[in-house]
Amino acid sequence: MTLSFELSDELRGYGRQLRDWSVREARPLAREADDRHALPADWSKVLDSCPVPVGRTDIPDAEPIPAFPDGEKVTMLVYYENVNYGDPWVMTAIGGGIGHLPVRKIGTPEQIATWYTPVVKSGLMTGFALTEPQCGSDTSQIATTAIRDGGSWVLNGNKIFCSNGAQAEYITVFATTDKAAGARGIAVFIVPRDTPGLIIVKANESKLGVRSTLTSELRFENCVIPLENRLGWDAAGPAADAPSLGGQAGALSSLADNRPNVAAWAIGTAQAALDVARERLLAQRHGFTPRRWTVIEAELDRMDAALGRGRLLNLKAQYLVDHGTPSRAAAAIAKGFSPQTCERIVLRCMQLLGPEGTSRKLLLEKWYRDIKILDIFEGTAQIQRLVIARQLLGRAAG
Amino acid sequence: MDLTPPDELIAVAELARSLGLEKLAPAARSAEAAGQVDGAVWRALTESGLVSGLRAEHGGDGLIDAATQMAAAENLAYGDPGIALAALWSGAAATLLSEHGTAEQGDRARRLSRDAAAPGAIAMYEGFGRGPDEWTTTVGGGAGTITVRGTKVGVPFAAAADPLIVVGTDADTGTLRAVVVPAGAPGVTLEPADGAIALSATQSLVASFDVTLPADAALGGGSLDPVALAVSVERIRLILGAVAVGVAQRAIDYASEYATERVAFGRPIAGFQGVSFLLAEKQMRVEAARLAVAEAASLIDGGAAGADALGPLRRAVRETVNYAADAAAMTTRDAVQVLGGHGFLTDHPVELWYRSAAALAALDFDPLCSAFAPAV
Repeated sequence: MTLSFELSDELRGYGRQLRDWSVREARPLAREADDRHALPADWSKVLDSCPVPVGRTDIPDAEPIPAFPDGEKVTMLVYYENVNYGDPWVMTAIGGGIGHLPVRKIGTPEQIATWYTPVVKSGLMTGFALTEPQCGSDTSQIATTAIRDGGSWVLNGNKIFCSNGAQAEYITVFATTDKAAGARGIAVFIVPRDTPGLIIVKANESKLGVRSTLTSELRFENCVIPLENRLGWDAAGPAADAPSLGGQAGALSSLADNRPNVAAWAIGTAQAALDVARERLLAQRHGFTPRRWTVIEAELDRMDAALGRGRLLNLKAQYLVDHGTPSRAAAAIAKGFSPQTCERIVLRCMQLLGPEGTSRKLLLEKWYRDIKILDIFEGTAQIQRLVIARQLLGRAAG
Repeated sequence: MDLTPPDELIAVAELARSLGLEKLAPAARSAEAAGQVDGAVWRALTESGLVSGLRAEHGGDGLIDAATQMAAAENLAYGDPGIALAALWSGAAATLLSEHGTAEQGDRARRLSRDAAAPGAIAMYEGFGRGPDEWTTTVGGGAGTITVRGTKVGVPFAAAADPLIVVGTDADTGTLRAVVVPAGAPGVTLEPADGAIALSATQSLVASFDVTLPADAALGGGSLDPVALAVSVERIRLILGAVAVGVAQRAIDYASEYATERVAFGRPIAGFQGVSFLLAEKQMRVEAARLAVAEAASLIDGGAAGADALGPLRRAVRETVNYAADAAAMTTRDAVQVLGGHGFLTDHPVELWYRSAAALAALDFDPLCSAFAPAV
């Protein structure tokens, strides 16, 4: 009897096929995506060429990511790492955002049928509007208001960093119904695209990296939506069949499960940089003194090992979810662990290669720009540490 | 023992700081987009006397001491590292001609640093962790000719420079020599300009040389002091360390100000040790790097001109540049981190510094001087 960290042959094969495909088909268009601040012109042809199902959201009835014996969440880790191994733009092209995740967590059965199932089944792009100009990590400071007006909600306020905001089928909006109640007054609303009063202030921000991902700035100006567009409610008010865990806390808990996926993305990018660097360095090996080459070989191995440890933490966190015992701390450990180390690996690879490493001839410089956001969004490294510290020390941790 | 900065150093640092903030910082984005320093900014820099040190007979005020020069470099980079390096590297080429050149070469120094469109440049870095004592580019003389062969990386103004001074190793003696290569000389091969993560105003490229020129193209003609040239080379390498300190300090100051204004969980985020210690630890690194740059500069100023002193000087510069550049990379990434999502937008300059520090950290890097460490 012992433990086994081995993935099933089927899942490993799926990951290998994804990786080979993303390198072969997606990576050559990475520079174009970065320069255009948009998906490459031929993005849907690239997705057409994918040999395995990836749950595309751009076409109806796309085949979902297959079910493997390893579990749904563990499968997603393999998906995230290997899709991003080619280049992160391709995930933007496949993925439909995270706006539907809170629906599954705190929506009524009817809301799930309306807004969650179609997204998963036939592919729809969703937006997620939480952050505001004056608040990010501290979501209790949300200033966007939702005021009930008879059978409607009226939304007013500003949102930034809304992924896909300008193109999403609907946007999941966090707004306060009662400022005096702080975090408890925050509820979650579904605003379909083209709702009057939903204004796209800026379709896409000018960013350091992940430029092909649309990051929108939104404003809600007397934006009116039906009563039942508040998650957990129906047309008459609070729904009897809503999950017990509602509101902001419930909605945000839907993000915790996604945190190891972000870490897996970081590992995919860092592994890509490491593999490119190793190949280039081997080809230039004669340029280094034997002493330096010995150091470099040891460093490449050490970086590989660091990525391996990150994978273990990801697997543990998602294994727990798949087995019905999710741990917020385990997810925070996974996300707190890998992204910064992965940044360092990409930087290190650039350094080992010298000025060629930071030139646009290679993609490492792009990946160094892309990867920075992974230690920030979906909970900064500092917030992950706070989550872990509170698990250890209780509320006294600060 | 004297750690009190002389009045002249303080005055130069203040002048450079104000130039950096008033001229360089506002021009940073446009210089990056254009891949060139704006003419008015370039003039302001050259006229300040901060980027070169020409002898009086070449129209300058003479070489300033290295400690003062590094203070100037740091504070210009506090404004913008890309513009600062472009001007400092061009100024270094003029200084090298003035300091070590023949009378005719010294005359070229006079006009060099004034012209943003045709700056001077020095080709010296080779990558592979090599220091000057390991450079494989060779300089050798034939009958009435001099030949330079080898490949250099990170060559600023590689396409525009006139002249380009190539530093290599004497094929016979193993000491450093340099060749003054005029623009358009046959045998210079430039890699296509694809751009890079940052520092675009330096117009840096990979350049390969198989160039034979008349013997008078040798820097200093037949009377070059190779040890003096080697010390000048260390001084130029050290600029990179000073620039790294400057951009890192700016990132700390910018992020610190943000952290005192940005409120989360009921107080400025500066009130959380997760933020304040992050910056405090980087301040330790930056201060250590700043003193290491100053100490290496003091070795130059204290007469490292003797051949015996060259080894310790090279070691000090190598370690210092690597430490400072690593510190700048860590510091600028933490500055982005402190600004959070806002730091990821081009609305703030921290992303530019993050990119710039990465370019600095890859240029004169030696894997024997800096080690990979996982963050956790």
